[in-house]
Amino acid sequence: MKYLGLIWAALRRKPARTLLTAFSIVTAFFLLGSLQGINAGIAQVEKLLDVPQLLVMSRVRMDAPLPLAQLARIRTVAGVTAVTPMNALVGLYKSPTNVMVVVGVDIGQMLKIAKDMKVAPEQLAAMQRTRTGVIVGETIMKERGWKVGDRIPLSALSINGIGGTKTDGTSNWVFDIVGTYTVPLADWATRIFANYDYINDALASGQNQVLGYYVGIADPARSAQISQAIDNLFANSSDQTRTQNIKDFMNSVLDQVGNINFLVNGIVGAVLFTLLFLTANTMSQSVRERINELAVLKTLGFTDARVQWLVLAEALVLSLAAAVVGLFLAGRALPWVTNSAALQSQGIGAMHVPPSVFGYGLGVAVLLALISGLPPARRARRLAIVTALSGR
Amino acid sequence: MPIVLLKNVIKSYTRGKQRVEVLHKLDLTVESGEFLALMGPSGSGKTTLLNLIGGLDKPDMGEVTVAGERLDQLSGSALAHWRARHVGFVFQFYNLLPVLSAERNVEVPLLLTRLSRAQRRRNVAAALALVGLSDRASHKPAELSGGQQQRVAIARAIIADPTLLVCDEPTGDLDRENAEEILNLLQLLNQQHGKTVVMVTHDPRAAAHASRRLYVDKGTLSSEEARSAA
Repeated sequence: MKYLGLIWAALRRKPARTLLTAFSIVTAFFLLGSLQGINAGIAQVEKLLDVPQLLVMSRVRMDAPLPLAQLARIRTVAGVTAVTPMNALVGLYKSPTNVMVVVGVDIGQMLKIAKDMKVAPEQLAAMQRTRTGVIVGETIMKERGWKVGDRIPLSALSINGIGGTKTDGTSNWVFDIVGTYTVPLADWATRIFANYDYINDALASGQNQVLGYYVGIADPARSAQISQAIDNLFANSSDQTRTQNIKDFMNSVLDQVGNINFLVNGIVGAVLFTLLFLTANTMSQSVRERINELAVLKTLGFTDARVQWLVLAEALVLSLAAAVVGLFLAGRALPWVTNSAALQSQGIGAMHVPPSVFGYGLGVAVLLALISGLPPARRARRLAIVTALSGR
Repeated sequence: MPIVLLKNVIKSYTRGKQRVEVLHKLDLTVESGEFLALMGPSGSGKTTLLNLIGGLDKPDMGEVTVAGERLDQLSGSALAHWRARHVGFVFQFYNLLPVLSAERNVEVPLLLTRLSRAQRRRNVAAALALVGLSDRASHKPAELSGGQQQRVAIARAIIADPTLLVCDEPTGDLDRENAEEILNLLQLLNQQHGKTVVMVTHDPRAAAHASRRLYVDKGTLSSEEARSAA
């Protein structure tokens, strides 16, 4: 610790250069933290979706509606334990930029399918007797400052991808909060569930249609067979279905983006590789400019090893301090950036930079400092006092 | 009792393809408490001799014994530890660390000791008081005059209480008045604090402050008397 003053003084020698280098490192580690956080979030989604739950949607395209009549036939498939129709109301809450998604379901069936969702019995009963009722995820309740009994007015933009006009000619929908639900991953209780029938019955057009069906199954190992059996039911109809377990569905969505893990590692790797040269250049330049000062330290009794360590410590302090700032900023920004209505409607909460990414990031920072700091540190170590002081 | 003892010392440098012998079978004895001035023309080998005495360089041949230690036999790190304990250096161009304040510059040698931060601060304050710079402790070198910078350098040289002060043209970059102050300070350290001082200078007025003067010429030493006789 007593050498910290010397290290700090060396870094302050050219403040602009140190700041610019630090800013580059902060940016790189912000990127590393954010991208790895997203990666970890996706892994979390996959883990969370590893449940005995199927999603039936149109084979034509994801947002094409299906007829409600399919519900009864899906129930007959062996191995199916529960089915709920699902519609999605996308609307504006209070301001034109505040988009919210309300998912209409049969809440009783939904709770049988999504077994990790917990709702108090009296609130479930209230939901079943209140047509305009909604059960809201605890995370959203806290975020919005809502409480049971509050009323949510929404101006519908679309329902199941088409117009959200009601039979009264308006697009104004009102929901009453009758309860909340929780999931094991607290932050991810982000959905708003309404009664399917309320939305369906009030629609001016597109009634008795669904965006999809959630299907509960008894044996996860049979999800492929059951999916096939459901799709076979409608194979020769005009409303062919595509049934997948939730995890496969999410993966197929993500696959459209590409191999996220590869992209993340590729981007982070390229950034760090560039950063390596930048930091190495800064450190080399800094040592070149201080040849005389390093020689003076050796004259005063600092050993070659100690001088080498001081230069390495400079690289470590610069790299670690900037990495901590970058990772901290990523930790603050990622939940904010990923807190979107679209993800929330899928039950995906804000993503966070997990502690393991902080640890990984700091490890990378140390490695960066060692690789970039070692050549100048070795040069400082080999410095001959007499030659350096005479300016030769 | 000699504090510096050089026997049959040979030192040469390679310049380009040419090998130049700077010190040729040189012998030197400096008694403890002495103030020795080494004089001579440029390129005569004064600084090379001073570097050997201060443990900054090693001879090609011969023995260099300073403060009871054979410097020519010490490893690089042992020599660094020895320098930290036994020698204080004063350079012509002060060689202070520009980003540190005067007091932090003076403190640097103490970072190598086990002294507590508070003790280091007390010692620094005492050293700066001795060189008359207590009021400039927080100033950076660029904010000090040449004379003040050299006094900071002297405070740094004495902070670890070395037995030997090695000064390379300490007044070479100063005006007459400041030079006189620095020389008086070195004399004070020699006479009242018992420091042995070996100073390289080509200024006869500076050399006059020393108790003995030796001349280095073409790699050998000669006394004032020998030069007069010649």
